[in-house]
Amino acid sequence: MNTMIIDGLSYALPLLIIACGGIFSERSGVTNLALEGFLGFGAFTGSLFVALTSSWFSNGSTVPMYLAFLFAMLGGGFYALLFALLCIKFRANQVIAGVVINILSVALTGFLTSQINSSVFGEASNKFQLGVSPRWTVPGLSQIPVLGAVFTKFYPFEILIVILVIFINYLLYKTRFGMHLRAAGDNPQAVDTAGISVAKVRFTAVVIAGMLAGLGGMCYAYSISTNFSPSIYFGAGYLAIAAMIFGNWKLMPTLAACLIFGLARSGAYQLVGYLKLSSNYTNLALAIPYVLTLLLLIFFSKTNRAPRALGEIYDKSKR
Amino acid sequence: MTETIVEMRHITKRFPGIIANDDINLSICKGEIFALLGENGAGKSTLMSMLFGLYEPDQGEFLVRGQQVKIDSPNQAVALDIGMVHQHFQLVSNFTVTENIIMGVETSKRRLGIFPTVDLKNSEKKVAALSEQYGLEVDPRAVIEDLQISERQRVEILKMLYRNAEILIFDEPTAVLTPQEIQFLLQIIRNLRDNGKTVILITHKLDEIKQVADRCAILNRGRLIAVRDVSQTSTQEMARLMVGHDIAFTLDKKPAQFGEEILRVDSLTVENEEKYEAIRQVSFSVHRGEIYALAGVAGNGQVELADAISGLLPVKSGHIYLKQTDITQESVRARNLRGLSYIPEDRQSVGLILDFTLQDNLVLKRYFQPGFRKGQRIKLERWQSYARRLSQVYDIRSANGIQTVVRSMSGGNQQKAIIAREIDQDSDLQIYVQPTRGLDIGAITSIREKLIQERDHGKAILLISLELDEIMACADTIGVLYHGSLQTEARAGELDMETVGAYMMGAQHE
Ligand SMILES: Nc1ncnc2c1ncn2[C@@H]1O[C@H](COP(=O)(O)OP(=O)(O)O)[C@@H](O)[C@H]1O
Ligand SMILES: [Mg+2]
Repeated sequence: MNTMIIDGLSYALPLLIIACGGIFSERSGVTNLALEGFLGFGAFTGSLFVALTSSWFSNGSTVPMYLAFLFAMLGGGFYALLFALLCIKFRANQVIAGVVINILSVALTGFLTSQINSSVFGEASNKFQLGVSPRWTVPGLSQIPVLGAVFTKFYPFEILIVILVIFINYLLYKTRFGMHLRAAGDNPQAVDTAGISVAKVRFTAVVIAGMLAGLGGMCYAYSISTNFSPSIYFGAGYLAIAAMIFGNWKLMPTLAACLIFGLARSGAYQLVGYLKLSSNYTNLALAIPYVLTLLLLIFFSKTNRAPRALGEIYDKSKR
Repeated sequence: MTETIVEMRHITKRFPGIIANDDINLSICKGEIFALLGENGAGKSTLMSMLFGLYEPDQGEFLVRGQQVKIDSPNQAVALDIGMVHQHFQLVSNFTVTENIIMGVETSKRRLGIFPTVDLKNSEKKVAALSEQYGLEVDPRAVIEDLQISERQRVEILKMLYRNAEILIFDEPTAVLTPQEIQFLLQIIRNLRDNGKTVILITHKLDEIKQVADRCAILNRGRLIAVRDVSQTSTQEMARLMVGHDIAFTLDKKPAQFGEEILRVDSLTVENEEKYEAIRQVSFSVHRGEIYALAGVAGNGQVELADAISGLLPVKSGHIYLKQTDITQESVRARNLRGLSYIPEDRQSVGLILDFTLQDNLVLKRYFQPGFRKGQRIKLERWQSYARRLSQVYDIRSANGIQTVVRSMSGGNQQKAIIAREIDQDSDLQIYVQPTRGLDIGAITSIREKLIQERDHGKAILLISLELDEIMACADTIGVLYHGSLQTEARAGELDMETVGAYMMGAQHE
């Protein structure tokens, strides 16, 4: 039980921050299938930083990890600029642009990782090795039955994400920028006549989406694999989209969706271990969150309402 | 005369294939209600959109308070204290009234000394105060999608006032309102003037101009025809100037020659999308050579009834017979082919495909028929000749002929296109819902004449309208719908306007 909650949270929270990226983008009116690409490129940038600077820091220092998160956000944001340019400046179809961005990200990071490994470090590898993230336990609180698991053996990034999500809630719902962003996803004409640039708002939203997804990718690189490799593209971006849709493009329901996915996954792992099934079944267990998504979407898609102007390329002259 | 606040000099604006405004010179005085009158497509919206910075004129200049100004964005217009309520409201549907009003000019206060937060509380107070001052009743915290059209319009007006607009432009504000709401709005407009605002009112309804406007300018096909003092000009003369020729205010109509029964509706009950019984146990029939007019206040089941007869909405119980055949379960196309034409209320989303060309819209009910295709291939030449013929016969005007995208056409010509398509089916039953809504006098008269002409050709016409004068002018038989039931039914001669009005408000049949 404890392990299920601990693992579930460490899987769900990065998923949440990626989904938050999706919320930013889509609430501003830009359909975003590119989260997978953003998170991969972000994780790549952060890991590259760690690989290049590993000699600067003493062994076991956590500073590179925190810097890696920062660089992952920068990298994800930078890569998202490309997507924003395609969708907003060049008015590309957002679905196609998203798919292209994802494919390009896999190809580009794979190629660059191998190239840099061979030319800079002189070794043949498609991975960047990362340090091991510390895990924290709050004394006292962790002793509470069941709930204590929340305060047990969590990754530092989990705290970071919780703080960020509170900040995102503030940004989206309490600030002028958040108001303009949500308005742009509902009625861009109204935003325009209010004297606010729809393009600017959406551009910013997409770049923030890239930063958040990049951070989420980096978290997975530290928690699931302790290295950066092409296996970072295991579908978290798509699952985050599902969580966002299931969460009706709102923060709290999206959090709930992510928790369900996370717990379903860790629960399935536990089950495979408990039943002493062969490791073949682990793959099957891994599919559970996705199957669950499908089922949930079938039941909940009726009551869901996407932002009204989602996917609409804004054209001033259209009456 | 008092002080001039806006002056236009030689304003000219061209769109591809059309001159929307041709060398317009106007001056508008401070504190007056200035009406801009003209048929659909005359260029009224274009002219005022330029004053509001949505378009830039190709030639000419604007002077505001005597200063020559270049208005190239709505921001600039707002800075000059100009505000505009558009024909299509510009509101964010999931925001509250206050959030919509303050968008773009929000004030923030700092939470915990650092986090700037939009100050909704104070803004709500300000909005409430403004709405009190001008009699614009609306709850500052209500969410837009829960509001009625008239309330949304008030939000748009508050939006201008919140920005301290002095020059208020209304683009056909009454087109979407009921008669009571129109009176209410006109009173608001008077209030605004009495508070020192300058109001520019775009409309093609003469009686409204008569009621509120001080002066009026008349546009026709992009040209300024005249500027008149309203109190010294008759409605007839304004109509003549607007249309460019004399028009009859009464219709020429021979007595009806009733023939066999074409449509019979038998104890029909229809549920709307919310599973509410919008039509309950309604029975009536329409004959050849008869115009059967259904009167009623909006939302009493008219749309559902028409949708059920045409096959867009399923029937809960009861039957519909077309020429003695039960069509209750038939598909829309089967009904069309059997002889049913439908001119729907919502012409933009039900009647037309806005992003298709005029040609493609005109062949919508024909393209699958022999002669319009060869196997699975379409016969484009046939489409073209057909569309060309219809637009000629029905006088549909558009910038690029039959290849014009329908979205860019004026409302009147969009409606003409639908009517052309439907009448040309030569159907025995023709259903018209609000056929003249939002159109100008010229177009209204020609559509009503068309209706009567079709009746005289032996068609059965079902006319559903919210406008009592349209019902009285066209009907041979009048039925009144109230809360989904047929309240009364009688020959047109047996009912006068007051009686029908009373039934519409729910008076009982003795
Ligand atoms: N954005 C546009 N692009 C092309 N043509 C337009 C556009 N806006 C208006 N028009 C054309 O200009 C003419 C005047 O339109 P408009 O000003 O909307 O008329 P009104 O408001 O008097 O009904 C019409 O023929 C219309 O089709
Ligand atoms: Mg107009």
